[in-house]
Amino acid sequence: MRYLPLIWSGIWRKPGRTNLIFLQVSVAFALFGVLQGLKTGVEHVIGDARADLLLVHSSLNLMDDSLPLGLFEGIRSVPGVRVVAPVELFGATYQNANQKLGVVAIRPDEGWLSAFTYSIAPDSVTALRSTRTGAIIREGLVKKYGWKVGDHIPLMTTTAQMNGSTDWAFDVVGTYSDSDVGGGADVLLINYDYFDEARFARRGTVQHFNVAISDPRLAVNVADEIDRRFANSANATRTDSLRELAQSQLQTIGDLNFLIRAIVSVVLVALLFATATMMMQSIRERTPELAVLKTLGFTDRAIFLFIVVEAVAVFAAAAGCGLALALLVFPFASKIVPGLSMPFVVVALGLVCAVLVAAISALLPAVRAAKLNIAAALARR
Amino acid sequence: MNLSGVRQRTAPVLTIIIGVTCAVGVLVSMLAMGTGARRQEMANILADQAALITPGARYGQSHISRDDVAAILGLPGVQKGTEGEPIVVFQSMVPIEGRRRVTGNRIYFPLIGITPTVTQYQPQMRFTGGRMFKPGLHELIASSPCVRQFTGFEIGDRRAIHGSDWTIVGHFEQGEAQQCVVYADVDNIMSAFSRNTYSAVSVRLQSPAHFAAFRDAVRANPALQLEAQRQGEVAEAGFKELNAILDFVSYFVGIIMAIAATLGAVNSLYAIVDSRRSELATLRAIGFDSGAIVVSILVESILWAIPGALLGGALAWVLFNGLSASPFGFSFQLAVTPSLVVFGIIWALGMGLIGGLLPALRAARVPVAAALRAT
Repeated sequence: MRYLPLIWSGIWRKPGRTNLIFLQVSVAFALFGVLQGLKTGVEHVIGDARADLLLVHSSLNLMDDSLPLGLFEGIRSVPGVRVVAPVELFGATYQNANQKLGVVAIRPDEGWLSAFTYSIAPDSVTALRSTRTGAIIREGLVKKYGWKVGDHIPLMTTTAQMNGSTDWAFDVVGTYSDSDVGGGADVLLINYDYFDEARFARRGTVQHFNVAISDPRLAVNVADEIDRRFANSANATRTDSLRELAQSQLQTIGDLNFLIRAIVSVVLVALLFATATMMMQSIRERTPELAVLKTLGFTDRAIFLFIVVEAVAVFAAAAGCGLALALLVFPFASKIVPGLSMPFVVVALGLVCAVLVAAISALLPAVRAAKLNIAAALARR
Repeated sequence: MNLSGVRQRTAPVLTIIIGVTCAVGVLVSMLAMGTGARRQEMANILADQAALITPGARYGQSHISRDDVAAILGLPGVQKGTEGEPIVVFQSMVPIEGRRRVTGNRIYFPLIGITPTVTQYQPQMRFTGGRMFKPGLHELIASSPCVRQFTGFEIGDRRAIHGSDWTIVGHFEQGEAQQCVVYADVDNIMSAFSRNTYSAVSVRLQSPAHFAAFRDAVRANPALQLEAQRQGEVAEAGFKELNAILDFVSYFVGIIMAIAATLGAVNSLYAIVDSRRSELATLRAIGFDSGAIVVSILVESILWAIPGALLGGALAWVLFNGLSASPFGFSFQLAVTPSLVVFGIIWALGMGLIGGLLPALRAARVPVAAALRAT
């Protein structure tokens, strides 16, 4: 502890150089924070996705094909299934072709909410049950277009009604929020029964069934049992948990992980080299001072530690500063990749990396300082 | 003249070069993703190809009714095929699930119901095995990337689609395209998936100049609620979103790395200037004015940035050119083009110039007398 002033003066021996190194390390670790945070954030999204919520869709594909509503009973009778909820999805536009919305048609039966990731006030659900043309709107969307409860909103779709029109209108009865990041921002919920009766084609079909199960540990067994029941029929199903879906979605950005790792290692290596040469230079300039310290009785070990601690202190402070900066930048990055946050792990990892890089780059200069020959150094030979 | 002392300052110079190499290498590699994706998207598109789309819809997500077929076939300016039929391709796209060869992971690829005129619409389409599907039969043909990447696409393999078996009867190449696509007869696909609208219609024009006549004819026909666009524009528009993301990420990372590398260069140049105080003072003493000193330091700084840039570009080329990447669900090959490398060099010159400025000013302000007295 008593050596602190000595180390402190060593750090500020050349303020310009230290400030530049500090800035360089800060910038590098800000990048480190953002990239690593992106990666860890994505992994958290998978971890947070519900494992006890299954999606039963056509075995051919997730988005485009449909299943008959008649599978409902068959799915519900599978042991372990708690709630089955039919879901139909379609796209719509509001006012002009660029304002796109997603419409989710559901049946607000008893317990339906447990098969979704939505949170809705109970009276909004009651209102949806009693209003055939009712719609519950995602919070952000309500603000976006300034809608309020009681508004009548006309939507353009590609789904024809019985009367041939492809325009639909719904009455706002409430708002909801969604904890699933893949859920989409501009979405509204409507009554499936109303939609199905009013549409012209593909009646009695759904995109998928949401299934809530009683025990998340049995997810795989329940999913296999559902698929087994409908295998080899014209409507073979494929059942995944929300977590599996999140995983397979994120595999498509798998190469991004490689990219992030590559960039982070390039940055750290460049930093390692830059600091090592700077420390070398500094040791060369300070040769006489170090020799004086040794003459005064400081051991080789002490000199070695001074140099290493100097580097580690600058790096740790700068890395902390850079990571704090990344935390500030993160809200912007999460606009592009929704639902991301920078967990504490990343900060810890960044600090560990900083200390390691500092220690390694200070190693050679520190050894050289420790091995200094007093007589030769003082004589500046 | 000031390069003669290089040997004594190897370490700071190496620092500059390595910093610039890393910054340029990363930027060029990342931009190569965008270039590669764009190159692939545009490679197979000919100037005489046009598409009909539902206004406001993306390509491949249009809804074009069967009732419009006759009117579309009668449009002017469309090239005639070998048997005198107009080269118009009707498509209906359905995403289908496949499994990756190595990892066994599930992935989606497009199954496209298409009219047999596609072989004349895409002259670069070439069969590498088997034959074309026969209209009316449950037959599939797969592009060669499917065979390389996924299981179950050998000729003779069967896939169950909506309760019936479809047989793979052919493999084809599509020029530079790396995307897996599977074609089948469009009418079969539409009846299997109970569809009544096409999701895309493309035509081959007699020449690129016939586009105006074609577009006007589409506009003039009130029965057609469609819009004609050149295929190149359609691809460009569909690609805009991915391009914007790739560019944003590339420049975000690139700029941050450039700042870090520039800061490193500033530090190294300060060290170089400091170690040459007496030398610089001597130069001033024998009559070089401070302007000459500033220029000499700037030139030196820029000179060290150039090998860094070349090395960075070369590394990006050696490591990543032609490498397949599939971020955001698209797969394409990275393309490190000469223009990207030139951009990297300009980028590096900028770093050198900005990084050299402050040290150059300090060098010019070295007090002659004091510097010469110092040992």
